[in-house]
Amino acid sequence: MSVEKMQIMGIIGKINLLNRVLRLIILNGSMHMINALARINSIDFFLPPSEKNIEAIEEEPFLKPYSQKRDFTQDEQAIKLLQDLFDIKPQIKREYLEQDYDYSDFMGQFNEILKKIQPTADEIKEKSRLIDKKREYLNNIKYLSNFQNLDIGRLIYMKYLVFRLIKITRENYDKLKKNYENIPAIVLKIAVEGKYVILASFAPETLEETLEKIFSSLNYTQLPIPKDVNGTVSEAINQLTQSIKEDQELIESLKKSLESYREEYQEEVKKGYSRLQLEKKVEEIKSEIAVGNKFFFMFGFVPIGNVSKLKSELDKNFGNQLIILVDDVNQPGSGSTPPTKLNNIKLFSPFETLVKMYGTPNYREKDPTTFFGLTYMILFGAMFGDVGQGLVLFIGGLISGLIWKKTDMGGILNRIGLSSTIFGFFYGSVFGSEDILPALIIRPMANINNLLIFSVIFGIVLTLSSYVYSIINYGQERNITEGLLGRNGLAGLSFYLVLLFTIFWIFIAHQNVTPILVMIMTGLLLLMLFRVPLSSKLIYSNKLSGVLSINDYIEEGFGIIETLISMLSNTISFLRVGAFALNHVGLYIAFLTLAQMIRNSGGRWAILILILGNIIILTLEALIVFIQALRLEYYELFTKYYRGDGKDYNPVRMNGNISY
Amino acid sequence: MDKITIFAAVNTKIRALEKEFLKREDYLNLLQKSSVGDASRYLMDNIYYRKLLKGIHPETVSRRDIEDILKRNMIKNIDKLIYYFHDDYRILIRSLYMKYEIEDLKVLARSIFNGKDPKTLEKSLIFLGKYSQVEPEKLLEAETIRDLIYSLKGSEFYEFLIPLVDGRRENLFRFEMALDMGYFNILQSRKLKISAKDKRLLRKWEGTVADLYNIQWVYRGKKYYNLSPEELLNYTISFGDKLTYKDRKEICYTKSLEELFRIVNNTVYSFMFKREEIATDIYMERRINRFLYYRIKDLNRKSPLSIVQTIEYVWLLEFEVRDVISIIESIRYNLPPEEARKYLVKVA
Repeated sequence: MSVEKMQIMGIIGKINLLNRVLRLIILNGSMHMINALARINSIDFFLPPSEKNIEAIEEEPFLKPYSQKRDFTQDEQAIKLLQDLFDIKPQIKREYLEQDYDYSDFMGQFNEILKKIQPTADEIKEKSRLIDKKREYLNNIKYLSNFQNLDIGRLIYMKYLVFRLIKITRENYDKLKKNYENIPAIVLKIAVEGKYVILASFAPETLEETLEKIFSSLNYTQLPIPKDVNGTVSEAINQLTQSIKEDQELIESLKKSLESYREEYQEEVKKGYSRLQLEKKVEEIKSEIAVGNKFFFMFGFVPIGNVSKLKSELDKNFGNQLIILVDDVNQPGSGSTPPTKLNNIKLFSPFETLVKMYGTPNYREKDPTTFFGLTYMILFGAMFGDVGQGLVLFIGGLISGLIWKKTDMGGILNRIGLSSTIFGFFYGSVFGSEDILPALIIRPMANINNLLIFSVIFGIVLTLSSYVYSIINYGQERNITEGLLGRNGLAGLSFYLVLLFTIFWIFIAHQNVTPILVMIMTGLLLLMLFRVPLSSKLIYSNKLSGVLSINDYIEEGFGIIETLISMLSNTISFLRVGAFALNHVGLYIAFLTLAQMIRNSGGRWAILILILGNIIILTLEALIVFIQALRLEYYELFTKYYRGDGKDYNPVRMNGNISY
Repeated sequence: MDKITIFAAVNTKIRALEKEFLKREDYLNLLQKSSVGDASRYLMDNIYYRKLLKGIHPETVSRRDIEDILKRNMIKNIDKLIYYFHDDYRILIRSLYMKYEIEDLKVLARSIFNGKDPKTLEKSLIFLGKYSQVEPEKLLEAETIRDLIYSLKGSEFYEFLIPLVDGRRENLFRFEMALDMGYFNILQSRKLKISAKDKRLLRKWEGTVADLYNIQWVYRGKKYYNLSPEELLNYTISFGDKLTYKDRKEICYTKSLEELFRIVNNTVYSFMFKREEIATDIYMERRINRFLYYRIKDLNRKSPLSIVQTIEYVWLLEFEVRDVISIIESIRYNLPPEEARKYLVKVA
């Protein structure tokens, strides 16, 4: 139920170890990298001057960001070629990555393998190219298949005429057609293919040049026909099909001859792929690293629980060669803010998504997820309490979690569905109907006033707890001014309590306002208004920081007025909790009335109206209540205590699936 | 959607943007400047250009720098307008970039053909990739026209260019023609879901532009390139406003330039071949642009709350950039102001 504590880990070592160290860190997957130079330049960085560290300390002034970039295109091509040849699916396997290896040695060996296979691979490639070419010929000749008995040889080797098969766009064909009287050729339209028209043209050889210009201006594409086919169209088609088949068989046999290589090397290819992917990731994160002449420096945040594991892994692999620094995260204000890794129990963890939608909690803030999750479920259930429809939402959540793998959304859906079901029992409502179950607590429609009062009281409880949260947060930040005298601090809380008491005193106990109450409230307001100079006088001796200009006071003054208004409106805002509970019953009554009218007038499909009504209520109301509850959380509560200006914890690790 | 919901906001924005245009006096004053530095100092006194030219040094600034800045600004302003549109209107406005990108592609192709490094080019090639969405770096790397065509793969231009490679005709002339034909082909064949009125206006405007370009093309083809009538006709844009297919065919098959002038003089486009100016072909483009300038202003007045306002803004913006650049060019080549003025579109 909290933000996980972090430590800053620094690793310093000889540059020749860099790649292997980075590989280990990626596989470990728990370090959130930060810029090394920024870290080294921060005030609290300290490298203890021991014999082991002396060389590294000497390098400190000469550090620069890592700027080399390696190019993997060749490796990528080589691996891709063999993968295609051996028909191996790209897959990253952890066991290949954890072995001890040197990447460039490995790629050297890999290229040796490639050299053995290259000739065969080239031959296959060449044959495939031939097949493609023949397929194109075949396709072109097929355009002529209306003329089964036409001798292609005669067409190609005409003495005085030139035959061409060409392709142009429809628009250009229109141009040609409209101006046909001026074209020095016989042009036949043979086929239409999408945007294109296939044409056959015959022209006297002497006019070829003119025709070429005209066709060029129509942006034509020549469809080639092989010179070496002879016989009729159907014979030519047969010849080509036969020859394609032969080539394909040849490719198959070539591939078979590679079978023994496949047996021998497929392991290497799989290794190659996995290792290449890891190496690319390594390059990606190098931008955060600083290097000197001999040493590299890298830093990152690691959750406290993972520090010892990472450290022992590093020790095991590199022994004494690395300098490993583990520093605690310092007090607020110094160095960079650690990233936030939320850690909540399973019941509340899906709600992290909704919290992050507002903002990731600051590292020093209290994680509001638990409070948010609990109150969100209650708010949703109270506004939308229905055993039947709640169960539908619950099942919908399960389905989207299990089948569509939308675990966050599914998780939220089945939790609020469950809460809706529970409140359904309290209200005694099943699919809108109140006749089936008895109400365990209250029937909303029968006790409108009580329901509304309950919801305001619940709102007051939530508002008070958010004040408490706010004060705790200020305490953790050591922000005494705001914590004691701020609007959302102790002064604000006392003012709110006194205000509530006054309202109770006047409207419920029917007493007159006592001057004491007014004086306390005015006093508290003045405290909030002058909190900055006051605190600088009382708490800090530094007077400079406490000077505010007149503008600041005007702004603060409005701030106070805003506080007054929002305290009331925020509280009243919780009326909607009751209102939506009523709304649920009200909507159902409307559909029930419709259904009864149909039944009374002899219609047979009254039940359909109820089903339709339930579908509308379920979708419409679930959506509205989802948003309204979110609104209450964000606007009424989060504004009081939650800042959400943290950074997400984003450790370096392999993306995608790694199989073990 | 209702035309008010579509255009009210964007037209207000356009009004505001049009305030930033230079005034007539500005052009006249600019013409009197004696150096590029003076001219840019004058521009920097203009409230709006001051923002744009912030950070340049009038002493050392080159024409290319200014052109770059102005064109970048053009993109910025057009992009601003794009935000106001949805769906097919958005596609339409984005396609206004196509013209400029094709211009830049042609410049690039020419520099490749002449074996120059595009990075040292005098012209700025800012619009590359704005319509085609191709990485400009990829285009600039091309060493032959063929490379250039291949690097346009995935864009709408590709299908018009690839027949050149297949037919081994990838020379400069065919490349430019294929791009132009492709451009008008895209304009003609796209099916936009916009209101009927906007469609009509768009067809009218694009038709006018096509008519003028067709006449210019036939004239040049006859006078300078000696192309056959069939080729001329095949390369004409196959739509127009006033000119029908029959008209286009007729002017392509005229026997002499005299005959061409006679036919054109019977159309609304007679201004193109004013007797006294026929000898000066270099002003033809300016005449066309001035005609378009008045035509779009006219359309704009007649059809409020339509797509015309946006198109007008983009064209006027283009004319302004063109005019400022040509003034600066004239200053650099020491053209007398009176001479330089004859090239301006917005100021007669």
